[in-house]
Amino acid sequence: MASKKASLTIGGMTCASCVSHVEKTLKEVRGVQRVVVNLATGKASVDYDPAQATLEAMKKAVDEIGYEVVLSAANLNVTGMTCASCVEHVQKAVSELPGVTKAVVNLATNSARVEYEPSITSLAEIKKAIEEVGYEATEQVEGQEALDREKEARQREVRRQLINLIISGTLGMAVMLGMLQPYWFFPSFVPAWLNNKVVLFFLTTPIVFGPGRQFFINSWNGLRRGLTDMNLLYATGIGAAYGIAVVNTFWPDAGFGGKEATFYEAAALLTAFIILGRYLEAVTKGRTSEAIRRLMKLQPKKARVIRDGQELEIPAEEVQIDDLLLVRPGEAIPVDGRVEEGYSSVDQSMITGESLPVEKKAGDEVIGGTINKTGAFKFRATRVGKDTALAQIIKLVEDAQTTKAPIQKIADKVAGHFILGVHALALVTFLFWFFVGFDLWFTPESRLLLTPYQLTAIGAFGLALIISITVLVISCPCAVGLATPSAIMAGSGKGAEYGILFKGADAMEGTARLDVVIFDKTGTLTKGEPSVTDVLTAGELSPDEVLHLAAVAEKNSEHPLGEAIVRGATERALKLEDAQSFSAIPGQGVEAQLNGRTILLGNRRLMAERKVELDGLLLDAERLENEGKTAMFVAVNGKPAGIVAVADTLKETSAQAVEELHRLGLKVAMITGDNRRTAEAIAKKVGIDRVLAEVLPEDKASEVKKLQAEGFKVAMVGDGVNDAPALAQADVGIAIGSGTDVAKETGHVILVKDDLMDVVAALQISRQTLRLIKQNLLWAFGYNTLAIPLGMGVLYPFFAQVVSPELAALLMATSSLSVTLNTLRMRGFVPAVRRQQRQEASEQLQAAAA
Amino acid sequence: MKKVSTISAFIYTGISALAAGLFLLGTLGGEYTPVERIGGAVWVFLLSMIILMPVVTSAVKKRVKA
Repeated sequence: MASKKASLTIGGMTCASCVSHVEKTLKEVRGVQRVVVNLATGKASVDYDPAQATLEAMKKAVDEIGYEVVLSAANLNVTGMTCASCVEHVQKAVSELPGVTKAVVNLATNSARVEYEPSITSLAEIKKAIEEVGYEATEQVEGQEALDREKEARQREVRRQLINLIISGTLGMAVMLGMLQPYWFFPSFVPAWLNNKVVLFFLTTPIVFGPGRQFFINSWNGLRRGLTDMNLLYATGIGAAYGIAVVNTFWPDAGFGGKEATFYEAAALLTAFIILGRYLEAVTKGRTSEAIRRLMKLQPKKARVIRDGQELEIPAEEVQIDDLLLVRPGEAIPVDGRVEEGYSSVDQSMITGESLPVEKKAGDEVIGGTINKTGAFKFRATRVGKDTALAQIIKLVEDAQTTKAPIQKIADKVAGHFILGVHALALVTFLFWFFVGFDLWFTPESRLLLTPYQLTAIGAFGLALIISITVLVISCPCAVGLATPSAIMAGSGKGAEYGILFKGADAMEGTARLDVVIFDKTGTLTKGEPSVTDVLTAGELSPDEVLHLAAVAEKNSEHPLGEAIVRGATERALKLEDAQSFSAIPGQGVEAQLNGRTILLGNRRLMAERKVELDGLLLDAERLENEGKTAMFVAVNGKPAGIVAVADTLKETSAQAVEELHRLGLKVAMITGDNRRTAEAIAKKVGIDRVLAEVLPEDKASEVKKLQAEGFKVAMVGDGVNDAPALAQADVGIAIGSGTDVAKETGHVILVKDDLMDVVAALQISRQTLRLIKQNLLWAFGYNTLAIPLGMGVLYPFFAQVVSPELAALLMATSSLSVTLNTLRMRGFVPAVRRQQRQEASEQLQAAAA
Repeated sequence: MKKVSTISAFIYTGISALAAGLFLLGTLGGEYTPVERIGGAVWVFLLSMIILMPVVTSAVKKRVKA
């Protein structure tokens, strides 16, 4: 086979030796013939035999030696997908392309995210592969344009299906009236000519080849490539019903049941009901993504910029960093920035979920997309375009919606084999009723369920065929395919409404299944602004002298406790000279030299290591620690000098959040570098049940690991920068108080606000989402488990009735719709804790107004 | 790729035809009209093709790749 060329972008190369490592490694991959790596461009040019070497193998080899093959990623809109099988087809078609390493296709968002190497497979080839299996692919655009295009495409689909529905519905009603003409009271108002089989033929044919044409075309496109989908079930069902009716109309003696078995209404209503389902789905599917749509709508279109002293109104996307902008009361803030002049209150609820407006004065940050309420102010743009908080949030939520939850794996597995399984069942059913069932149970009084028709003249073939078609039509893989992604979409959108951003479907499912929540103490449970509370002395030094020495030692420290001591000394007007030397001892304290004196400031471990006798101070330290204060020992030249106690204040919502978490059945732990006694005193104040004290910053991740080893699903709540390793180790890392720069945050869940109640809200939203997923899956699987046997004719031996294909189509459409409707319930969901807070806020507003 | 489609088409069409043939054989034991026999065989052939197409194509593809 001819060799191919690929140009891989390699990340992480810094020197010539990296080049040789990468070259050597790539050459060792089977099938690679030539490799040239260029450090300046960061590219590796590879000649390879595609029959032997794959991109996967090359990527793996490069990854294993510590570098990275940087791939391109594309988000595509895929139209024409209707069920889980379509997802499988698109995923398979894209994944099989040589340069594609990952493809995630989402039915609920009609999108595909593809990771690929453009030098091997271009984006055009990916789109072509999708089009070849019968779907349409276009590149996703972002922001307002994306919203407009998506809306346009959805409206086009709704319009198309509405026209189809009107045609098939109107003609289908006429066909049904014609078929019912001889029965009950119908002869009194339906003309007899409408029951003429040829008239019915002319009424049904436009339905089958007009609105029903889509099913035949789509299934043929799939079949040509060996793929089966939902369209095939419909096409075989409609085609067979129509075919028999035509044969019995024009060749009544052919042996298909004669003129009495011309079930034109089966073909007509089958088409109409399936199209009704498609129409309702097109209408409701868009609503599950309403939250993201709402976020997109927040992006203001206009901005008032002051340039050269002139006030200009320009499109918001043309605002540049450092532009000075003016916002009047009632206007939306166009981009992120910092207030320079003026005073106002701003409604940030749409971004952060805060129920009350936030006051803004010079120096405060404002967020693009929020609404200015009371006064006018000028602000300087700090982030524009794709970098604004709103744009980042939209991107994050969109990315999360294209991921798959672990629970979806079962559904995907089932859906992947569903269509084939149903066809196999239809075949078995046909054979059974043809050879066995008909002879055993057939009676001339047989009826189609809920219709007046008798199947008197029907033969073994006719009965077996009707039941077999019903099996094809009654099954509903759409419900299985939609169950999980639609709920994830609704849940992640709901989270965004409250400033809770789930980075993926797995994060949402993980949050719902948590057993333990660990809070970092400083800055998470507490405000992270400690202050000096006590200074005790042990020798000849005065309290101010002890504090002075401690502050000099901590002058260069960035630790919050050190900063508190320096602040305490400054407040007492103590002059702080620079230490001659300073060294931080992680997890223990600091050591400094000042005018020939060695100052030690730290915990017991430090003092013990340096053999400082603390006898006289230990009781005092214990007392302070029992009060929840952090006692730090000061020693000068190896002799104890005193204690400086520092305490941090708890956040207003800490105790309430812990209580709510307990109510939800979770265990709550606290992790801190503080000594056990202080940690336990604080834990007691907030009601925490497990304390992980005296943990060095680098050991936080291993403490999380220990809890996981006990079989718990663990969440770690902390700030996304200092606690990054522990957040990454936890099953769910929750980064709190990220503010507006959400893109930089580590962690699986990001809380925009610095409010612990959002941890509870995140749990409530994820649990509700998981509940919806379970309900949807239960419904989808439950429906198919009950409906398919019903379609197979299990009731026939007892009641001599079979489900008609049109009734089967109605049941199928209802099932698919009920999953979407169940998911839509999420729109009205308000996390219990937020409901309480809203109530309190409205009471406050009322009180203020009074 | 063309080789895969040709081999696959040969296999699934063959097996489906065999299934239809077996069905016809089966009808010989009962009192069925020619239309029932032919109609049934066509339906069996059609469903067998639908079931076998993706299964056989993917199996052949795997074999050829290996």
